[in-house]
Amino acid sequence: MLKIDDLHVTVDGKEILKGLTLSVPTGEVHAVMGPNGSGKSTLANVLAGRPGYEITAGSVTFQGRDLLALAPEERAREGVFLGFQYPVEIPGVNNVYLLKAAVNAARKHRGLDEVDAFEFLALVKDKMRLMRMEESMLSRGVNEGFSGGEKKRNEVLQMLVLEPRLAILDETDSGLDIDALKVVAHGVNTLRSPERSLVLVTHYQRLLDHIVPDHVHVLVKGRIARSGDKSLALELERRGYDWVSGEAA
Amino acid sequence: MTPALSKRVLDEYAAIRESLPAGVVSSERRHEAIQALAARGLPVTRDENWRYTNLRPLERARFGPVATAMAALPQPSEADLPGRLEGFARYAFVDGAFAPALSSSQEQAGLTVRRLPAALPALSTLPEARLALLNEAFATDTAAIHVSNTPGKPAAVELIFLALGGADTGTSYPRVQVNLDPAARLVLIERHISAPGGASFVNSAVNVDIGSGAHLTHYRLQQAGARATWVDTLSAVLAADARYRLLAVNTGALSARSTTHVRMAGPGAELALSVAALGDRQQVQDNFALVEHIAPRARTEQTFRGIASGRARVAFNGKIAVRKAAAGTDSRQSLRGLLAGPEAEIDVRPQLEIYTDDVRCSHGATAGKLDDDMLFYLLSRGLSPEVAQRLLKWAFLEDVVSKIEIPDLRRHIEHELAGQMADAASLKELL
Repeated sequence: MLKIDDLHVTVDGKEILKGLTLSVPTGEVHAVMGPNGSGKSTLANVLAGRPGYEITAGSVTFQGRDLLALAPEERAREGVFLGFQYPVEIPGVNNVYLLKAAVNAARKHRGLDEVDAFEFLALVKDKMRLMRMEESMLSRGVNEGFSGGEKKRNEVLQMLVLEPRLAILDETDSGLDIDALKVVAHGVNTLRSPERSLVLVTHYQRLLDHIVPDHVHVLVKGRIARSGDKSLALELERRGYDWVSGEAA
Repeated sequence: MTPALSKRVLDEYAAIRESLPAGVVSSERRHEAIQALAARGLPVTRDENWRYTNLRPLERARFGPVATAMAALPQPSEADLPGRLEGFARYAFVDGAFAPALSSSQEQAGLTVRRLPAALPALSTLPEARLALLNEAFATDTAAIHVSNTPGKPAAVELIFLALGGADTGTSYPRVQVNLDPAARLVLIERHISAPGGASFVNSAVNVDIGSGAHLTHYRLQQAGARATWVDTLSAVLAADARYRLLAVNTGALSARSTTHVRMAGPGAELALSVAALGDRQQVQDNFALVEHIAPRARTEQTFRGIASGRARVAFNGKIAVRKAAAGTDSRQSLRGLLAGPEAEIDVRPQLEIYTDDVRCSHGATAGKLDDDMLFYLLSRGLSPEVAQRLLKWAFLEDVVSKIEIPDLRRHIEHELAGQMADAASLKELL
């Protein structure tokens, strides 16, 4: 599904990713953990195509295609989804409009007709119940006046409606209380399937109690310092990032 | 005003003054207006509050009214006008002259609409109101609306001004006089449209007098054709506890200038002035608004949202003056401009002039480009850059559009705005 090979990325002239190599096969859930400043969010943003990141070396292939050659909207239509760490508020752009426009953009890309408005609304409401979101949020502006937890739920809602092939969730657990974390995790888990891959970018182990990963990678100073199964996350929790950082240094 | 232009105004007036209807404006008043113009001159771009206006069309304009110049214009039909709104009496004017065939009066309690005002208000001496002097001198008709006490729902009137004649044949002079008795209520829609390809010259003058405790909701839509020149002067006076909600959407004309002068003359008066302006290609949308707080405890809320694309210039110059007696004034200004093209220009200018201590005045003014984070968010969901930009422009106008309380009118304006944002198919689908 996703192959990242020796990726070097600089931001404002400073190298953040320094030869990152990572492979996420189809159907697997991978967690990328790491201390603050290790390059986790840079990785997520580069995969989604956010401007301002200079790729100086390396490659990213998605389903055999050069992902970095695609514009952000093309990546989305091909099935790449980024769940933002800080989802932006867009007053005046209605939530349900955005969802519909997003779904139709992807459908058009695949040569499909636009969704039926009524069926679509029913589907969205169904997913909203899953995410324990009030229906009234649909008619509000995108994330407008949402609490931190509501914004994260809205990200997962969008993901559930868009059904991406590859979802990258950037610190989707941050700022959530334990109940909201369970709701979000449940939403993400419903999307797990043999055709889909997930990359969970997180600082804390606790999300992984609820979304159990197939593999865990520890990102330190712009490189994968260690990879393992879910027990690696538990060991990290016990011993702290210094343990891996010390080894990497 | 150059001496040549000044002379031309006087000559044109002298040539046709006999034919101007004395019932609309008396010949004395017309004469006074012409004298005042001769003394004060027409505005020039050097004038502080006219620097963003395109005044060049004045040089080429013919000032005599189109209606007298071309009595035998082909009559437009109902199909040329926007759809009717339920519950609204409609009065249509073609090139400044009442068109009964396109109008439908309606019996409404307390409402009187005449072509001739019972009494004319004193002329504004504001330098920015000078173009209204031309209207005073040359006007051919008036929509004079009087509302006495309205016990049930507010009176509802729609005025449509259609300009057909080209600027080479004369000027179109829409003229409106609104008087609300104490406690009266009126919802007024005022639309300005013109022949799509025609280079009309429109100079409108609107006078509003709101009695104590009366409420006026006033929607103004400027949708003149792409080659038209549209200038406008609105003067309003609010008595004690009067409430005026004035919402303007300006999308039309090649060159447009709107001057608004509101006097908060009674204690506790309330004004909500909201303006949305869109400019594309070579359009100039210039707005000047002066709100004078004369009496205590009045409140003003000014909202401006303007978008300039292409090589357009969109300006809003909003001035709040708080006079000495206006203690307890509360005024808020939120002026925002969006630059949507590398060659476009936005000028937003809040001005405060305060002569008393006991006031609460806040203002925010910004001019900028689309927010990169918002744009990326939409792209990351698969929207094309074009659709994403259009959506964000749309959202930007929402602060004004959301204040339109008549659903049919709001839909109409939304479609109009979507249409203005070029290639709107993808947006309309969302409405």
